[in-house]
Amino acid sequence: MYRSGVTVWYSVANLEQTLEFYSGKLGFEVIFHDSSSGMAMVNTNTKDCVIGFSVAEAVEPATSSTVFEVLNIEDAMKQLGANGVSFVGEVEHVPGMAKLATFVDPDGHNLMLAETLAEL
Amino acid sequence: MSQEERVLRLSRELTGQWTLPILLALEGNGGRFTPLQNKLNIAPSRLSANLKKMVEDGLLLHLSPSERRHPLLPEYVLTEKGRLHREAARAVQLSEERIGHGRLSDKMWGMPILLTLNFNHTRFQEIRQLLDGITPRILSLRLQQFHDDGLVCKHISEEPRPSFLYQLEKQVQHPVQQLSIDLASLV
Repeated sequence: MYRSGVTVWYSVANLEQTLEFYSGKLGFEVIFHDSSSGMAMVNTNTKDCVIGFSVAEAVEPATSSTVFEVLNIEDAMKQLGANGVSFVGEVEHVPGMAKLATFVDPDGHNLMLAETLAEL
Repeated sequence: MSQEERVLRLSRELTGQWTLPILLALEGNGGRFTPLQNKLNIAPSRLSANLKKMVEDGLLLHLSPSERRHPLLPEYVLTEKGRLHREAARAVQLSEERIGHGRLSDKMWGMPILLTLNFNHTRFQEIRQLLDGITPRILSLRLQQFHDDGLVCKHISEEPRPSFLYQLEKQVQHPVQQLSIDLASLV
């Protein structure tokens, strides 16, 4: 029934600012950008998993998290930190499962890095 | 309220610079602010004010972020009244194309005056009484503009006392009559 593919959609206030963050700071490739309709999409680190953005008058920060897997969380934080990404709080440990680092995009949508400690 | 009055009221609700273009720019069930703004090339504050007015008039629903199930779905949804007004807006647009003098509905009272003439109300006071709320100055200004543009002719009637009679010019009669029929089918 399903085919490979997941898209996460966010409402955003400023498309250019959002793309600067996801492309310029996180390093994801912009695969679609249409200013007239206020829409854009970026590839993520995972095949067929993309993030879409749509400009809205009112934006409420999403409470669910989009979590990006990394090989080593400290190294990833250092690299993204050098690009200007600010992390919220310290690295959190879920014993036996993962290490998590939280950051937010320009609209306050929750994002995370995760270093998996044990494969499910 | 007679059907004539309902038609005039509907045409009044569509006058103004932005109501008709906004209605026509909306997709089937509504639209999002940014595509609308780009399509209409309108200042955000002006679009915002117009949308707010249309929400107050019951033409649109403004969905909150939590009511929208997907960021690509409309922020503004047409109500039943809004869909009817969009049909009416299409009829007005068609009549403007047929008349061939650009937009007439962007000026307050423009279309209602033409429709009133179509209903064979020809005297200034008669038109004024039918268009509740119009000022003598605006009515006089619009009639003069329509006359200058060749849409309305005027001639003097001697009876019962000397006064101007206003009528649609021949080439305008059919498109305005068709508009009145189209609007009547919606009210």
